[in-house]
Amino acid sequence: MPIGPPFTPDYRKGQLTAIRKLRKNPRVLFVRLPYILSLVCIVAGIAWLLLLPLDEYSRRTYISENALLPGQVHAYFSGSEQHVFRGYKQELEGLIPGEDQEKGVSKADAQFTSEVSNKVQSILSAAGLKVATQAYEYTSSGITHQGENTYAIIRAPRGDATEAIVLVAAWRTADDELNLNGVTLALTLARYFKRWSLWSKDIIFLFPPDSKTGTQAWIDAYHDMQPASVQPLPLKSGALQGGVAMEYPFDHRFESLHISYDGVNGQLPNLDLFNTAVSIASGQMGIGANLQEMWNHNDSYEMRLQTMLRGMVKQGFGYATGAHSSFMPYHIDAITLKTKGEGWQDEMALGRTVEGLCRSLNNLLEHLHQSFFFYLLMQTNRFVSIGTYLPSAMLIAGNFTIMAIALWMRTGFDMDTQSGPTAVSTSAPKEKTSSSSEARSSKEKESATPSPEPSGIMERQLALPLTLVGGLHLLGLVPLYVFNNLSYKVSPIPQVQQLNSMTFLSISNKQQHYTMATYICIAANAILPTLLAAVLSSLGFTTPKPQQYLLIKSFSLLLLGLFLSTLATLNFSLSFMIGLLCAPLTFVSRLNPQTTSVGLRYALSTIGLLVLNLLSPPVVLLGLCWYTGVSVEHVLTQAAFGWDVWGMWTQVVVWCVWWPAWISGCALLGFSLF
Amino acid sequence: MSSLFNLLLRAPSLILILLLLLCVLLPTPVSSEHTSNWAVLVSTSRFWFNYRHLANVLSLYRTVKRLGIPDSQIILMLPDDMACNPRNAFPGTVYSNADRAVDLYGDNIEVDYRGYEVTVENFLRLLTDRLDEDVPRSKRLGSDAGSNVLVYMTGHGGDQFLKFQDAEEIGAWDLADAFGQMWEKKRYHELLFMIDTCQANTMYTHFYSPNIVATGSSALDQSSYSHHADNDIGVAVIDRWTYYVLEFLESQVTSTNSKLTLGDLFDSYDEAKIHSQPGVRWDLFPGGEQEGRLRTLVDFFGNVQNIEVENANASDPGSLKEDLLEIARLVEKWRVRDQEYLLATRNDTSDMADHLSEPAKVSYNAHKDTVQVTRMVKETPWEKRALGASALLACAAAWFAGSILGQPSA
Repeated sequence: MPIGPPFTPDYRKGQLTAIRKLRKNPRVLFVRLPYILSLVCIVAGIAWLLLLPLDEYSRRTYISENALLPGQVHAYFSGSEQHVFRGYKQELEGLIPGEDQEKGVSKADAQFTSEVSNKVQSILSAAGLKVATQAYEYTSSGITHQGENTYAIIRAPRGDATEAIVLVAAWRTADDELNLNGVTLALTLARYFKRWSLWSKDIIFLFPPDSKTGTQAWIDAYHDMQPASVQPLPLKSGALQGGVAMEYPFDHRFESLHISYDGVNGQLPNLDLFNTAVSIASGQMGIGANLQEMWNHNDSYEMRLQTMLRGMVKQGFGYATGAHSSFMPYHIDAITLKTKGEGWQDEMALGRTVEGLCRSLNNLLEHLHQSFFFYLLMQTNRFVSIGTYLPSAMLIAGNFTIMAIALWMRTGFDMDTQSGPTAVSTSAPKEKTSSSSEARSSKEKESATPSPEPSGIMERQLALPLTLVGGLHLLGLVPLYVFNNLSYKVSPIPQVQQLNSMTFLSISNKQQHYTMATYICIAANAILPTLLAAVLSSLGFTTPKPQQYLLIKSFSLLLLGLFLSTLATLNFSLSFMIGLLCAPLTFVSRLNPQTTSVGLRYALSTIGLLVLNLLSPPVVLLGLCWYTGVSVEHVLTQAAFGWDVWGMWTQVVVWCVWWPAWISGCALLGFSLF
Repeated sequence: MSSLFNLLLRAPSLILILLLLLCVLLPTPVSSEHTSNWAVLVSTSRFWFNYRHLANVLSLYRTVKRLGIPDSQIILMLPDDMACNPRNAFPGTVYSNADRAVDLYGDNIEVDYRGYEVTVENFLRLLTDRLDEDVPRSKRLGSDAGSNVLVYMTGHGGDQFLKFQDAEEIGAWDLADAFGQMWEKKRYHELLFMIDTCQANTMYTHFYSPNIVATGSSALDQSSYSHHADNDIGVAVIDRWTYYVLEFLESQVTSTNSKLTLGDLFDSYDEAKIHSQPGVRWDLFPGGEQEGRLRTLVDFFGNVQNIEVENANASDPGSLKEDLLEIARLVEKWRVRDQEYLLATRNDTSDMADHLSEPAKVSYNAHKDTVQVTRMVKETPWEKRALGASALLACAAAWFAGSILGQPSA
């Protein structure tokens, strides 16, 4: 019975009937519109991203912080300092084992031995700095990483010791090359800076043995957050205001500087720091600056897009790209300057650039805060900020939410009592699970039958869908645990792996636990959804009602949409990538046995399952490894290392957001088979 | 005038006549009279990268000191200490030119308001002299109705405001009201207002009190730019407008005898060099631009004091002429009273009722009475002398008798 006043005027009656009609037949609203909206969202999200490199949507970079004043000081690091540099270099080279073909020893493999460390310490002490060391040890994937950081502090002669700048020169670069020139340069700079009286902040020179573990151990200990296996720091200074890492991994002159800025988990340093580095390097010193390994950037649309996408991939994976990356979680802005190419710039030019950067950072009155922390760079002088790019990932995340809400509303309506309550699979892209012709036929059927239902309100049965979706999300913890704790066993005794895992991997790739685990995971992914569907359908009391299929999809997509839109504000790139990979999940649902013939149903769901399996997390991982030529072992060891040492969260998103949503989608298709 | 003159000639007071002669015999030029020069030099921004604002002010400080204004008449407000900043490559110095020829911080500098004392409130209280009694003289603007005041401000500003430090700003109306109040309290004779900041010319748009000439570095929606940076100090050391004003003052106004005028200075503005449109406001000045242009620069930047005490022809209340006329009027009144009294005593027939009805006259008469010589005692001096002499004779007789009678019988 319609509820309303007893005497309703005629025109109101007319309106009410119109509304009632719409409520009685909400097929357009609940079934067709959400698919269209979701598709539009996805397309618009991708189109938005592709528009960003255009001049109209990106902006030129600029220095926001007035105090930085990049390039306004004359850098005096030259002349006699070069002799000091050569002297130090000779001293250090004497400690490195020479080339020996017979023993297979290469100079490039030289490690940060205690002799080198002692030499570095004696040079720093002689220059009048306070020196200290810190030993650390990390274990990940059964590999032990241990080393000893050496560092020294110049106390600001006229400043209060409340703030400090860090200069990092790792003995081995992020690409595991010998950084002899970088370390020597840092030593020379330490001696040179010590003689200036204009520092308002302490300057810390840090010499970690490698770029992966050393800075992490040091910065953790600096903030008293270190694990038990890492020693506390005997010597500390004030709050760190910025960091610059130097890499000069060859002996010839260089052409340009490569600036890395990505931090762990896609965190970025303040854009002002990057801009200052670019401004000093190219503006003042006349050294070209590059980013994201784009060596021949001609500022065209394609190049900008490529730069941006490379940045997004690094941000999305969330791994450390250099010694600077470990600083980011502590809100310390840091970058790495790496020399590149063969040109006419010598180590003094890099030294002057670092001097200029230090003078700019020295000018700071407060922590870098003026400029952006969320940005995508597409050229050294072009960027888009979060306000411009965020809608892209938000639209993609929003498509899941729209579908989830629509499905929730649809489950509350008994739309076709005549043909029995049913979930109707509707139009989707042709290569996806259900064909549009099938949907059209079902729609014709619907329109042919009148809908004389009395109330149109259905009770939702939530227990099974909630349990299933919640359970699947909890199940994601299993692969998360397994992949992070798998041991990279080579021999029964865990080998103490001194420094680099790359060479290690190349030596012994016989037992590939990680590859094995990946294949097992792929197999499990192929079986699990169908198995789940079969078990649930065969057990009488758990057989889902047609409404519950929709509710499973609704909850799964709702969680996915929530997670991704939240993630978009923290790590835009990861959210965008996972959103794209999950996009087909919006359009898959259980095929209705009453509207689809058995043969067609089996064929469609099998094709759908195959397509979805190609988009499962482990298969995507394999595909990427195959495309980039990196071994799966390496990627997964790095991921586990990231989890154990850097606090990387990418795996959590993969296994606890992406994977459960993927399993839910596959399971819905699997239900069509039974 | 002549009757007054005659009257005064007859007056007994010689000083009065001399004073009046002084007034009449010195018919000096009308309005350029001032008796002291004061300068209020304000930088409103702190932090190392604003080095140039402090250098601006210190440069001007040096100029006004060179032209003779003593430290006691300069109020210098510096919100930060660049000389002692750890970032300063040349500790203890401030330079306004990359050649670093002149250390502006030098060894003879008196900063009156420093650091966080430089606030809008302190600045307004300084101008209007609304300060506690215990505020020392060095922090007070002791100007009076005869003072020419130079107010120079620099910092970061915008449309009708100037930022003070990082926390507050002064509005164009605040400044106009402060100057208005200064005028009412006779705290300046003429005032030259100079400001170097972005959109500086908007700061003087609301001024309403008379005798102000205002000039600024840039028009609405224009930035004021720095002139050049020092590559060793690492910051810009001076602003463009101030740089060219100083260049003019330093090279042209070489001594206090300089006859260069405000007009000359303002004509030297070159927009191509300054990179913004400097502005000048004349309309508050009596005589407008024509008169204003004739003021010499040392009237404001120097310490030129005219010897004459006051403006003879001014007729404002409080001026010397007014005072003299008042004194003359009083003298005449007393003379009339004197004559009346003389008549009254001569006739000796004056009515007591008249005296009672005029208490002023009573007191006047009483005063006259006390002046008269009065005899204090009744006896005559001869009687006293006779008495004394007889007493002495009696004593002498007693002594004589005693010496004869008491002689030993031997």
